[in-house]
Amino acid sequence: MARKLGRTLSDDLGRWTLITLALIFVLLPIVWLAIASVKTRNAALAIPPEFIFTPDFSAYARIMSGGFLGAFQNSLIIALSNVVLTLVLGVPAAFALTRMHGKVQENLSFWLLSIRMAPLFAVILPLYVLFKSIGLLDTPIAVSLAHLTLTLPLAIWMLVTYFRSIPVDLDHAARLDGANALQILWLVIIPIARPMLASVAIIVFIFSWNEFLLAFILTSRNAQTVPVAVASLAGTMSFDWPLIAAVSVASMLPALIFVGFAQRHIVSGLGSGAVK
Amino acid sequence: MVKDWRFWFVIPTVLALGTVVAFPTGFLLWMSTAHWVVTEPGVYFNGAQNFQTLFASSAFLSATGVTLAYLTLSTAIMVVLAFAFALALAGPHSSGLLRALMITPLVIPPVVVGFTWRFLLNGEIGFIGAYLLPAIGIEANLLAEPLGALFSIVIADVWSRTPFMFLIFLAALQSIPRDYYEAIRLDGAKRFHEFFLITLPMMKGAISVAILFRVIDALNTFELIYVMTKGGPGRSTQTYSLLGWKTAFQGFDFGAAAALGVVMIVVTTIVALAVFRRFMRGV
Repeated sequence: MARKLGRTLSDDLGRWTLITLALIFVLLPIVWLAIASVKTRNAALAIPPEFIFTPDFSAYARIMSGGFLGAFQNSLIIALSNVVLTLVLGVPAAFALTRMHGKVQENLSFWLLSIRMAPLFAVILPLYVLFKSIGLLDTPIAVSLAHLTLTLPLAIWMLVTYFRSIPVDLDHAARLDGANALQILWLVIIPIARPMLASVAIIVFIFSWNEFLLAFILTSRNAQTVPVAVASLAGTMSFDWPLIAAVSVASMLPALIFVGFAQRHIVSGLGSGAVK
Repeated sequence: MVKDWRFWFVIPTVLALGTVVAFPTGFLLWMSTAHWVVTEPGVYFNGAQNFQTLFASSAFLSATGVTLAYLTLSTAIMVVLAFAFALALAGPHSSGLLRALMITPLVIPPVVVGFTWRFLLNGEIGFIGAYLLPAIGIEANLLAEPLGALFSIVIADVWSRTPFMFLIFLAALQSIPRDYYEAIRLDGAKRFHEFFLITLPMMKGAISVAILFRVIDALNTFELIYVMTKGGPGRSTQTYSLLGWKTAFQGFDFGAAAALGVVMIVVTTIVALAVFRRFMRGV
Protein backbone atom coordinates (compact mmCIF):
# COMPACT_ATOMS: atom_id res chain seq x y z
CA MET A 1 0.00 0.00 0.00
CA ALA A 2 2.73 2.41 1.01
CA ARG A 3 4.62 1.54 -2.15
CA LYS A 4 1.58 2.22 -4.25
CA LEU A 5 1.03 5.56 -2.59
CA GLY A 6 4.65 6.50 -3.17
CA ARG A 7 4.36 5.61 -6.80
CA THR A 8 1.24 7.73 -7.23
CA LEU A 9 2.84 10.69 -5.49
CA SER A 10 5.99 10.66 -7.59
CA ASP A 11 3.86 10.14 -10.70
CA ASP A 12 1.73 13.12 -9.81
CA LEU A 13 4.75 15.28 -9.08
CA GLY A 14 6.25 14.47 -12.47
CA ARG A 15 2.92 14.99 -14.16
CA TRP A 16 2.27 18.39 -12.66
CA THR A 17 5.82 19.60 -13.27
CA LEU A 18 5.36 18.68 -16.91
CA ILE A 19 1.96 20.34 -17.13
CA THR A 20 3.26 23.51 -15.48
CA LEU A 21 6.24 23.74 -17.84
CA ALA A 22 3.96 23.09 -20.81
CA LEU A 23 1.58 25.83 -19.71
CA ILE A 24 4.41 28.35 -19.31
CA PHE A 25 5.69 27.48 -22.80
CA VAL A 26 2.21 27.74 -24.31
CA LEU A 27 1.04 30.88 -22.52
CA LEU A 28 4.21 33.00 -22.42
CA PRO A 29 4.03 34.19 -26.07
CA ILE A 30 0.31 34.93 -25.88
CA VAL A 31 0.58 36.83 -22.61
CA TRP A 32 3.66 38.72 -23.80
CA LEU A 33 1.89 39.73 -27.00
CA ALA A 34 -1.15 40.94 -25.09
CA ILE A 35 1.08 42.95 -22.74
CA ALA A 36 3.04 44.48 -25.64
CA SER A 37 -0.19 45.65 -27.23
CA VAL A 38 -1.01 47.88 -24.26
CA LYS A 39 2.42 49.44 -23.89
CA THR A 40 3.78 52.60 -25.45
CA ARG A 41 6.26 52.17 -28.29
CA ASN A 42 9.28 52.84 -26.12
CA ALA A 43 8.06 50.73 -23.23
CA ALA A 44 7.49 47.76 -25.55
CA LEU A 45 11.13 47.87 -26.65
CA ALA A 46 12.64 48.42 -23.21
CA ILE A 47 15.16 45.86 -21.92
CA PRO A 48 15.01 44.92 -19.10
CA PRO A 49 11.25 44.80 -19.61
CA GLU A 50 8.97 46.92 -17.44
CA PHE A 51 6.69 44.54 -15.58
CA ILE A 52 4.74 47.32 -13.91
CA PHE A 53 3.42 50.02 -16.19
CA THR A 54 0.32 52.04 -16.95
CA PRO A 55 -1.58 50.44 -19.82
CA ASP A 56 -1.79 52.50 -22.97
CA PHE A 57 -4.49 51.58 -25.45
CA SER A 58 -3.45 53.92 -28.25
CA ALA A 59 -2.22 50.99 -30.39
CA TYR A 60 -5.81 49.77 -30.65
CA ALA A 61 -6.86 53.24 -31.80
CA ARG A 62 -4.14 53.07 -34.45
CA ILE A 63 -5.76 49.89 -35.84
CA MET A 64 -8.75 52.04 -36.78
CA SER A 65 -6.69 54.85 -38.29
CA GLY A 66 -4.17 52.54 -39.97
CA GLY A 67 -6.64 51.12 -42.48
CA PHE A 68 -6.89 47.65 -40.96
CA LEU A 69 -10.66 47.67 -40.75
CA GLY A 70 -10.88 46.78 -44.44
CA ALA A 71 -8.75 43.69 -43.85
CA PHE A 72 -10.98 42.59 -40.96
CA GLN A 73 -14.03 43.09 -43.17
CA ASN A 74 -12.45 41.03 -45.99
CA SER A 75 -11.46 38.23 -43.65
CA LEU A 76 -14.96 38.12 -42.22
CA ILE A 77 -16.60 37.99 -45.66
CA ILE A 78 -14.18 35.32 -46.90
CA ALA A 79 -14.38 33.11 -43.81
CA LEU A 80 -18.18 33.32 -43.50
CA SER A 81 -18.86 32.65 -47.19
CA ASN A 82 -16.38 29.79 -47.05
CA VAL A 83 -18.22 28.27 -44.07
CA VAL A 84 -21.54 28.46 -45.96
CA LEU A 85 -20.05 26.98 -49.15
CA THR A 86 -18.28 24.22 -47.23
CA LEU A 87 -21.38 23.17 -45.33
CA VAL A 88 -23.76 23.39 -48.31
CA LEU A 89 -21.43 21.24 -50.40
CA GLY A 90 -19.97 19.05 -47.66
CA VAL A 91 -22.98 18.01 -45.59
CA PRO A 92 -24.89 16.22 -48.39
CA ALA A 93 -21.66 14.73 -49.76
CA ALA A 94 -20.58 13.39 -46.37
CA PHE A 95 -24.06 11.99 -45.72
CA ALA A 96 -24.18 10.24 -49.09
CA LEU A 97 -20.68 8.83 -48.49
CA THR A 98 -21.80 7.16 -45.27
CA ARG A 99 -24.79 5.61 -47.04
CA MET A 100 -22.67 4.10 -49.83
CA HIS A 101 -20.75 0.85 -50.09
CA GLY A 102 -18.16 -0.77 -52.31
CA LYS A 103 -15.77 0.59 -54.89
CA VAL A 104 -17.41 3.97 -55.54
CA GLN A 105 -17.33 4.86 -51.86
CA GLU A 106 -13.73 3.67 -51.47
CA ASN A 107 -12.51 5.61 -54.49
CA LEU A 108 -14.31 8.79 -53.50
CA SER A 109 -12.97 8.61 -49.95
CA PHE A 110 -9.47 8.02 -51.24
CA TRP A 111 -9.78 10.93 -53.65
CA LEU A 112 -10.90 13.25 -50.84
CA LEU A 113 -8.08 12.05 -48.62
CA SER A 114 -5.50 12.60 -51.35
CA ILE A 115 -6.79 16.16 -51.86
CA ARG A 116 -6.37 16.78 -48.17
CA MET A 117 -2.77 15.74 -48.51
CA ALA A 118 -1.92 17.69 -51.66
CA PRO A 119 0.84 20.23 -51.02
CA LEU A 120 -0.73 23.67 -51.07
CA PHE A 121 2.03 25.16 -53.14
CA ALA A 122 1.24 22.76 -55.99
CA VAL A 123 -2.32 24.12 -56.19
CA ILE A 124 -1.51 27.79 -55.81
CA LEU A 125 0.38 28.44 -59.00
CA PRO A 126 -2.30 27.02 -61.33
CA LEU A 127 -5.05 28.70 -59.28
CA TYR A 128 -3.25 32.01 -59.63
CA VAL A 129 -3.11 31.60 -63.42
CA LEU A 130 -6.75 30.44 -63.50
CA PHE A 131 -8.12 33.30 -61.39
CA LYS A 132 -6.00 35.81 -63.28
CA SER A 133 -7.37 34.66 -66.63
CA ILE A 134 -11.00 35.03 -65.50
CA GLY A 135 -10.38 38.35 -63.74
CA LEU A 136 -11.05 37.14 -60.19
CA LEU A 137 -7.63 37.99 -58.78
CA ASP A 138 -7.76 40.21 -55.69
CA THR A 139 -11.44 39.47 -54.96
CA PRO A 140 -12.89 37.84 -51.83
CA ILE A 141 -14.64 35.23 -54.03
CA ALA A 142 -11.31 33.92 -55.32
CA VAL A 143 -9.89 33.48 -51.82
CA SER A 144 -13.10 31.95 -50.50
CA LEU A 145 -13.20 29.43 -53.37
CA ALA A 146 -9.49 28.65 -53.00
CA HIS A 147 -10.01 27.93 -49.30
CA LEU A 148 -12.37 25.11 -50.28
CA THR A 149 -9.26 23.08 -51.15
CA LEU A 150 -8.49 23.03 -47.41
CA THR A 151 -11.86 23.23 -45.73
CA LEU A 152 -14.10 20.98 -47.83
CA PRO A 153 -12.07 17.75 -47.48
CA LEU A 154 -11.52 18.52 -43.79
CA ALA A 155 -15.23 19.10 -43.15
CA ILE A 156 -16.30 15.97 -45.06
CA TRP A 157 -13.68 13.93 -43.20
CA MET A 158 -15.03 15.07 -39.83
CA LEU A 159 -18.69 14.76 -40.85
CA VAL A 160 -18.31 11.25 -42.26
CA THR A 161 -17.01 10.05 -38.91
CA TYR A 162 -20.01 11.58 -37.21
CA PHE A 163 -22.73 10.56 -39.70
CA ARG A 164 -21.56 6.94 -39.46
CA SER A 165 -22.62 7.00 -35.83
CA ILE A 166 -26.22 7.85 -36.76
CA PRO A 167 -28.11 4.55 -37.24
CA VAL A 168 -29.30 3.83 -40.78
CA ASP A 169 -32.59 2.63 -39.22
CA LEU A 170 -33.54 6.28 -38.81
CA ASP A 171 -33.30 6.79 -42.59
CA HIS A 172 -35.37 3.66 -43.20
CA ALA A 173 -38.07 4.77 -40.80
CA ALA A 174 -38.27 8.18 -42.42
CA ARG A 175 -38.35 6.60 -45.89
CA LEU A 176 -41.27 4.38 -44.85
CA ASP A 177 -43.08 7.57 -43.90
CA GLY A 178 -42.57 8.77 -47.48
CA ALA A 179 -39.64 11.17 -47.01
CA ASN A 180 -37.19 11.60 -49.88
CA ALA A 181 -33.41 11.83 -49.42
CA LEU A 182 -33.38 15.62 -49.14
CA GLN A 183 -36.14 15.56 -46.53
CA ILE A 184 -34.35 12.85 -44.56
CA LEU A 185 -31.21 14.96 -44.53
CA TRP A 186 -33.00 18.19 -43.66
CA LEU A 187 -35.62 16.90 -41.20
CA VAL A 188 -33.88 13.95 -39.56
CA ILE A 189 -30.11 14.07 -39.89
CA ILE A 190 -29.32 17.77 -39.63
CA PRO A 191 -31.36 18.35 -36.44
CA ILE A 192 -29.49 15.48 -34.76
CA ALA A 193 -26.13 16.66 -36.04
CA ARG A 194 -26.55 20.31 -35.05
CA PRO A 195 -23.82 20.40 -32.35
CA MET A 196 -21.39 18.63 -34.68
CA LEU A 197 -22.27 20.98 -37.55
CA ALA A 198 -21.59 23.93 -35.26
CA SER A 199 -18.12 22.69 -34.37
CA VAL A 200 -17.31 21.88 -38.02
CA ALA A 201 -18.43 25.40 -38.94
CA ILE A 202 -16.18 26.86 -36.25
CA ILE A 203 -13.14 24.85 -37.30
CA VAL A 204 -13.71 25.76 -40.95
CA PHE A 205 -14.08 29.42 -39.99
CA ILE A 206 -10.79 29.36 -38.08
CA PHE A 207 -8.97 27.62 -40.96
CA SER A 208 -10.21 30.18 -43.44
CA TRP A 209 -9.62 33.14 -41.11
CA ASN A 210 -6.04 32.09 -40.34
CA GLU A 211 -5.00 30.93 -43.81
CA PHE A 212 -2.15 32.96 -45.27
CA LEU A 213 -0.51 31.52 -48.38
CA LEU A 214 -3.56 31.37 -50.68
CA ALA A 215 -4.79 34.78 -49.52
CA PHE A 216 -1.30 36.22 -49.91
CA ILE A 217 -0.84 35.02 -53.49
CA LEU A 218 -4.39 35.67 -54.70
CA THR A 219 -4.81 39.21 -53.33
CA SER A 220 -2.84 42.41 -53.69
CA ARG A 221 -4.78 45.32 -52.20
CA ASN A 222 -8.58 45.20 -52.27
CA ALA A 223 -9.21 41.75 -50.85
CA GLN A 224 -6.29 41.61 -48.40
CA THR A 225 -7.09 39.50 -45.33
CA VAL A 226 -5.95 40.08 -41.74
CA PRO A 227 -2.99 37.64 -41.82
CA VAL A 228 -1.76 39.23 -45.06
CA ALA A 229 -2.10 42.69 -43.51
CA VAL A 230 -0.18 41.55 -40.44
CA ALA A 231 2.61 40.17 -42.62
CA SER A 232 2.81 43.38 -44.64
CA LEU A 233 3.57 45.26 -41.43
CA ALA A 234 6.87 43.38 -41.48
CA GLY A 235 7.83 45.19 -44.64
CA THR A 236 7.24 48.64 -43.18
CA MET A 237 10.12 48.24 -40.70
CA SER A 238 8.82 51.04 -38.54
CA PHE A 239 8.98 48.66 -35.57
CA ASP A 240 5.65 49.76 -34.22
CA TRP A 241 5.51 46.64 -32.06
CA PRO A 242 2.49 47.74 -30.03
CA LEU A 243 0.51 48.18 -33.26
CA ILE A 244 1.62 44.79 -34.62
CA ALA A 245 0.77 43.23 -31.26
CA ALA A 246 -2.61 44.96 -31.14
CA VAL A 247 -3.55 43.79 -34.67
CA SER A 248 -2.35 40.30 -33.75
CA VAL A 249 -4.43 40.23 -30.58
CA ALA A 250 -7.47 41.48 -32.50
CA SER A 251 -6.91 38.85 -35.18
CA MET A 252 -6.88 36.08 -32.57
CA LEU A 253 -10.11 37.13 -30.93
CA PRO A 254 -12.66 35.34 -33.15
CA ALA A 255 -10.75 32.07 -32.89
CA LEU A 256 -10.26 32.35 -29.13
CA ILE A 257 -13.94 33.14 -28.56
CA PHE A 258 -14.93 30.13 -30.63
CA VAL A 259 -12.54 27.82 -28.86
CA GLY A 260 -13.98 28.94 -25.55
CA PHE A 261 -17.40 27.94 -26.85
CA ALA A 262 -16.59 24.71 -28.59
CA GLN A 263 -13.41 23.42 -26.94
CA ARG A 264 -14.93 20.01 -26.28
CA HIS A 265 -16.12 19.55 -29.85
CA ILE A 266 -12.85 20.73 -31.34
CA VAL A 267 -10.92 18.30 -29.16
CA SER A 268 -13.10 15.33 -30.06
CA GLY A 269 -13.75 16.39 -33.66
CA LEU A 270 -10.19 17.09 -34.80
CA GLY A 271 -8.76 14.28 -32.72
CA SER A 272 -11.07 11.49 -33.73
CA GLY A 273 -11.36 12.72 -37.31
CA ALA A 274 -7.64 12.38 -37.66
CA VAL A 275 -7.40 8.91 -36.18
CA LYS A 276 -10.35 7.14 -37.82
CA MET B 1 -26.74 5.91 -61.23
CA VAL B 2 -28.22 9.27 -62.20
CA LYS B 3 -31.47 8.26 -60.53
CA ASP B 4 -29.65 7.55 -57.28
CA TRP B 5 -29.96 10.42 -54.78
CA ARG B 6 -26.44 9.80 -53.58
CA PHE B 7 -25.11 10.79 -56.97
CA TRP B 8 -26.75 14.22 -56.68
CA PHE B 9 -25.52 14.66 -53.11
CA VAL B 10 -21.92 14.00 -54.04
CA ILE B 11 -21.61 15.59 -57.47
CA PRO B 12 -21.47 19.28 -56.36
CA THR B 13 -18.50 18.52 -54.13
CA VAL B 14 -16.79 16.54 -56.87
CA LEU B 15 -17.28 19.42 -59.31
CA ALA B 16 -16.10 22.04 -56.81
CA LEU B 17 -12.98 20.14 -55.81
CA GLY B 18 -12.39 19.20 -59.44
CA THR B 19 -12.29 22.90 -60.29
CA VAL B 20 -10.10 24.10 -57.42
CA VAL B 21 -7.83 21.06 -56.99
CA ALA B 22 -7.92 18.32 -59.62
CA PHE B 23 -7.86 20.60 -62.66
CA PRO B 24 -5.11 22.83 -61.20
CA THR B 25 -2.99 19.77 -60.41
CA GLY B 26 -3.26 18.58 -64.00
CA PHE B 27 -2.48 22.08 -65.18
CA LEU B 28 0.58 22.12 -62.89
CA LEU B 29 1.92 18.98 -64.56
CA TRP B 30 1.62 20.69 -67.92
CA MET B 31 3.19 23.92 -66.61
CA SER B 32 6.19 21.97 -65.34
CA THR B 33 7.04 20.97 -68.90
CA ALA B 34 6.68 24.48 -70.29
CA HIS B 35 9.11 27.29 -70.74
CA TRP B 36 7.03 29.95 -69.02
CA VAL B 37 8.79 33.02 -67.74
CA VAL B 38 6.28 35.78 -67.08
CA THR B 39 8.66 38.58 -68.01
CA GLU B 40 9.58 36.96 -71.36
CA PRO B 41 7.26 36.63 -74.34
CA GLY B 42 6.06 33.19 -75.39
CA VAL B 43 5.15 29.98 -73.58
CA TYR B 44 6.35 26.78 -75.22
CA PHE B 45 6.93 23.10 -74.49
CA ASN B 46 10.45 22.30 -73.41
CA GLY B 47 10.19 18.77 -72.05
CA ALA B 48 12.15 17.96 -68.92
CA GLN B 49 14.29 21.10 -69.13
CA ASN B 50 12.71 22.67 -66.00
CA PHE B 51 13.47 19.56 -63.96
CA GLN B 52 17.05 19.34 -65.22
CA THR B 53 17.67 22.99 -64.36
CA LEU B 54 15.99 22.55 -60.98
CA PHE B 55 17.96 19.46 -59.94
CA ALA B 56 21.22 21.08 -61.02
CA SER B 57 20.62 24.35 -59.16
CA SER B 58 22.38 25.00 -55.87
CA ALA B 59 19.22 26.70 -54.54
CA PHE B 60 17.29 23.44 -54.91
CA LEU B 61 20.05 21.45 -53.23
CA SER B 62 20.22 23.77 -50.25
CA ALA B 63 16.40 23.91 -50.02
CA THR B 64 16.34 20.10 -49.90
CA GLY B 65 18.80 20.12 -47.02
CA VAL B 66 16.95 22.87 -45.15
CA THR B 67 13.55 21.21 -45.67
CA LEU B 68 14.88 17.86 -44.46
CA ALA B 69 16.61 19.36 -41.42
CA TYR B 70 13.59 21.46 -40.47
CA LEU B 71 11.20 18.56 -41.01
CA THR B 72 13.19 15.99 -39.03
CA LEU B 73 14.07 18.26 -36.13
CA SER B 74 10.59 19.75 -35.68
CA THR B 75 8.83 16.40 -36.09
CA ALA B 76 11.07 14.65 -33.57
CA ILE B 77 10.56 17.35 -30.94
CA MET B 78 6.82 17.48 -31.59
CA VAL B 79 6.29 13.73 -31.27
CA VAL B 80 8.09 13.62 -27.93
CA LEU B 81 6.36 16.70 -26.50
CA ALA B 82 2.91 15.79 -27.79
CA PHE B 83 3.25 12.27 -26.40
CA ALA B 84 4.37 13.53 -23.01
CA PHE B 85 1.57 16.12 -22.81
CA ALA B 86 -1.02 13.59 -23.93
CA LEU B 87 0.14 11.09 -21.29
CA ALA B 88 0.01 13.82 -18.65
CA LEU B 89 -3.48 14.96 -19.61
CA ALA B 90 -5.14 11.70 -20.69
CA GLY B 91 -6.31 10.73 -17.22
CA PRO B 92 -9.98 10.83 -16.32
CA HIS B 93 -9.44 13.65 -13.84
CA SER B 94 -7.71 16.22 -16.04
CA SER B 95 -9.84 19.24 -16.70
CA GLY B 96 -11.26 20.58 -19.94
CA LEU B 97 -9.76 23.97 -19.14
CA LEU B 98 -6.23 22.56 -19.18
CA ARG B 99 -6.84 20.90 -22.54
CA ALA B 100 -8.34 24.10 -23.93
CA LEU B 101 -5.27 26.06 -22.83
CA MET B 102 -2.98 23.46 -24.36
CA ILE B 103 -4.63 23.71 -27.79
CA THR B 104 -4.81 27.52 -27.93
CA PRO B 105 -1.75 27.87 -30.21
CA LEU B 106 -3.56 25.78 -32.80
CA VAL B 107 -6.10 28.53 -33.46
CA ILE B 108 -3.66 31.42 -33.57
CA PRO B 109 -2.82 32.51 -37.12
CA PRO B 110 0.71 31.26 -37.99
CA VAL B 111 1.54 34.77 -39.18
CA VAL B 112 0.93 36.03 -35.66
CA VAL B 113 2.93 33.11 -34.25
CA GLY B 114 5.85 34.07 -36.46
CA PHE B 115 5.72 37.71 -35.44
CA THR B 116 5.44 36.93 -31.77
CA TRP B 117 8.44 34.62 -31.78
CA ARG B 118 10.46 37.02 -33.90
CA PHE B 119 9.66 39.63 -31.28
CA LEU B 120 10.44 37.34 -28.33
CA LEU B 121 13.72 36.02 -29.77
CA ASN B 122 15.05 39.35 -31.03
CA GLY B 123 18.54 39.92 -29.66
CA GLU B 124 17.97 43.60 -28.83
CA ILE B 125 14.38 43.99 -27.73
CA GLY B 126 13.08 40.45 -27.21
CA PHE B 127 12.00 39.14 -23.82
CA ILE B 128 13.72 35.80 -24.45
CA GLY B 129 16.51 36.82 -26.82
CA ALA B 130 17.62 39.95 -24.97
CA TYR B 131 16.54 39.23 -21.40
CA LEU B 132 16.12 35.54 -20.48
CA LEU B 133 18.92 34.07 -22.59
CA PRO B 134 21.57 36.63 -21.55
CA ALA B 135 20.48 36.04 -17.94
CA ILE B 136 21.61 32.41 -18.27
CA GLY B 137 24.73 33.39 -20.15
CA ILE B 138 23.68 32.95 -23.76
CA GLU B 139 24.43 36.06 -25.79
CA ALA B 140 23.26 35.34 -29.31
CA ASN B 141 21.08 37.03 -31.86
CA LEU B 142 19.47 33.75 -32.90
CA LEU B 143 17.58 35.06 -35.92
CA ALA B 144 20.71 36.57 -37.46
CA GLU B 145 22.69 33.32 -37.49
CA PRO B 146 22.05 30.46 -39.95
CA LEU B 147 21.66 27.65 -37.41
CA GLY B 148 20.04 29.92 -34.85
CA ALA B 149 17.47 31.06 -37.40
CA LEU B 150 16.57 27.49 -38.35
CA PHE B 151 16.28 26.59 -34.69
CA SER B 152 14.10 29.64 -34.01
CA ILE B 153 11.71 28.58 -36.73
CA VAL B 154 11.59 25.07 -35.32
CA ILE B 155 10.75 26.47 -31.86
CA ALA B 156 7.94 28.65 -33.22
CA ASP B 157 6.62 25.77 -35.31
CA VAL B 158 6.74 23.36 -32.38
CA TRP B 159 4.82 25.91 -30.34
CA SER B 160 2.21 26.30 -33.03
CA ARG B 161 1.74 22.71 -34.24
CA THR B 162 2.36 20.41 -31.27
CA PRO B 163 -1.25 20.83 -30.06
CA PHE B 164 -2.58 19.12 -33.19
CA MET B 165 -0.42 16.09 -32.58
CA PHE B 166 -1.38 16.26 -28.92
CA LEU B 167 -5.06 16.00 -29.92
CA ILE B 168 -4.42 12.94 -32.08
CA PHE B 169 -2.43 11.22 -29.31
CA LEU B 170 -4.99 12.15 -26.67
CA ALA B 171 -7.81 10.60 -28.71
CA ALA B 172 -5.75 7.47 -29.30
CA LEU B 173 -4.68 7.15 -25.65
CA GLN B 174 -8.24 7.45 -24.46
CA SER B 175 -9.37 4.69 -26.80
CA ILE B 176 -7.02 2.10 -25.21
CA PRO B 177 -9.20 -0.12 -23.01
CA ARG B 178 -8.45 0.22 -19.26
CA ASP B 179 -8.67 -3.57 -18.82
CA TYR B 180 -5.41 -4.07 -20.69
CA TYR B 181 -3.54 -2.14 -18.04
CA GLU B 182 -5.33 -3.88 -15.19
CA ALA B 183 -4.61 -7.29 -16.68
CA ILE B 184 -0.90 -6.64 -17.05
CA ARG B 185 -0.73 -5.00 -13.61
CA LEU B 186 -2.11 -8.20 -12.06
CA ASP B 187 0.84 -9.97 -13.64
CA GLY B 188 3.12 -7.65 -11.70
CA ALA B 189 4.09 -5.27 -14.50
CA LYS B 190 5.88 -2.03 -13.74
CA ARG B 191 5.18 1.39 -15.20
CA PHE B 192 7.68 1.04 -18.02
CA HIS B 193 6.29 -2.40 -18.88
CA GLU B 194 2.86 -0.88 -19.25
CA PHE B 195 4.29 1.82 -21.49
CA PHE B 196 6.32 -0.44 -23.76
CA LEU B 197 3.97 -3.44 -23.84
CA ILE B 198 0.62 -1.68 -24.18
CA THR B 199 0.72 2.09 -24.69
CA LEU B 200 3.38 2.27 -27.37
CA PRO B 201 2.16 -0.69 -29.51
CA MET B 202 -1.44 0.56 -29.29
CA MET B 203 -0.33 4.04 -30.37
CA LYS B 204 1.59 2.94 -33.47
CA GLY B 205 -1.25 3.81 -35.83
CA ALA B 206 -1.85 7.20 -34.28
CA ILE B 207 1.85 8.05 -34.30
CA SER B 208 2.24 7.21 -37.97
CA VAL B 209 -0.89 9.17 -38.92
CA ALA B 210 0.38 12.10 -36.88
CA ILE B 211 3.74 11.96 -38.60
CA LEU B 212 2.07 11.78 -42.01
CA PHE B 213 0.00 14.89 -41.26
CA ARG B 214 3.09 16.55 -39.87
CA VAL B 215 5.14 15.94 -43.02
CA ILE B 216 2.37 17.40 -45.18
CA ASP B 217 2.00 20.34 -42.82
CA ALA B 218 5.76 20.96 -42.77
CA LEU B 219 5.98 20.93 -46.56
CA ASN B 220 3.24 23.58 -46.55
CA THR B 221 4.85 25.79 -43.90
CA PHE B 222 5.28 29.17 -45.47
CA GLU B 223 4.13 32.18 -43.49
CA LEU B 224 6.01 31.32 -40.33
CA ILE B 225 9.31 31.39 -42.22
CA TYR B 226 8.23 34.28 -44.43
CA VAL B 227 7.50 36.45 -41.39
CA MET B 228 10.45 35.36 -39.25
CA THR B 229 13.36 35.23 -41.71
CA LYS B 230 12.07 35.35 -45.33
CA GLY B 231 14.32 32.32 -45.87
CA GLY B 232 17.49 33.99 -44.59
CA PRO B 233 20.08 34.70 -43.45
CA GLY B 234 21.39 33.65 -46.84
CA ARG B 235 19.51 30.49 -47.75
CA SER B 236 19.70 28.99 -44.29
CA THR B 237 15.92 28.78 -43.73
CA GLN B 238 14.76 28.62 -47.34
CA THR B 239 12.54 25.54 -47.61
CA TYR B 240 10.80 24.19 -50.72
CA SER B 241 7.74 26.43 -50.25
CA LEU B 242 9.86 29.56 -49.81
CA LEU B 243 11.99 28.65 -52.83
CA GLY B 244 8.83 27.95 -54.86
CA TRP B 245 7.34 31.31 -53.98
CA LYS B 246 10.57 33.14 -54.79
CA THR B 247 10.94 31.31 -58.10
CA ALA B 248 7.37 32.05 -59.17
CA PHE B 249 6.66 35.51 -57.79
CA GLN B 250 10.08 37.13 -57.56
CA GLY B 251 11.92 35.32 -60.36
CA PHE B 252 8.71 35.04 -62.44
CA ASP B 253 9.75 31.59 -63.70
CA PHE B 254 6.41 29.74 -63.57
CA GLY B 255 7.78 26.68 -65.35
CA ALA B 256 10.58 26.09 -62.84
CA ALA B 257 8.24 26.78 -59.91
CA ALA B 258 5.74 24.26 -61.31
CA ALA B 259 8.52 21.67 -61.55
CA LEU B 260 9.24 22.25 -57.86
CA GLY B 261 5.50 21.84 -57.16
CA VAL B 262 5.59 18.46 -58.92
CA VAL B 263 8.59 17.43 -56.80
CA MET B 264 6.62 18.34 -53.67
CA ILE B 265 3.65 16.22 -54.82
CA VAL B 266 5.99 13.27 -55.44
CA VAL B 267 7.58 13.60 -51.99
CA THR B 268 4.18 13.78 -50.29
CA THR B 269 2.92 10.76 -52.22
CA ILE B 270 5.94 8.67 -51.30
CA VAL B 271 5.59 9.49 -47.59
CA ALA B 272 1.83 8.88 -47.67
CA LEU B 273 2.20 5.53 -49.43
CA ALA B 274 4.89 4.41 -47.01
CA VAL B 275 2.70 5.22 -44.02
CA PHE B 276 -0.43 3.69 -45.55
CA ARG B 277 1.33 0.50 -46.53
CA ARG B 278 2.73 -0.10 -43.11
CA PHE B 279 0.02 1.02 -40.79
CA MET B 280 -3.28 1.70 -42.40
CA ARG B 281 -4.23 -1.45 -44.28
CA GLY B 282 -7.95 -1.64 -44.83
CA VAL B 283 -8.78 1.88 -43.78
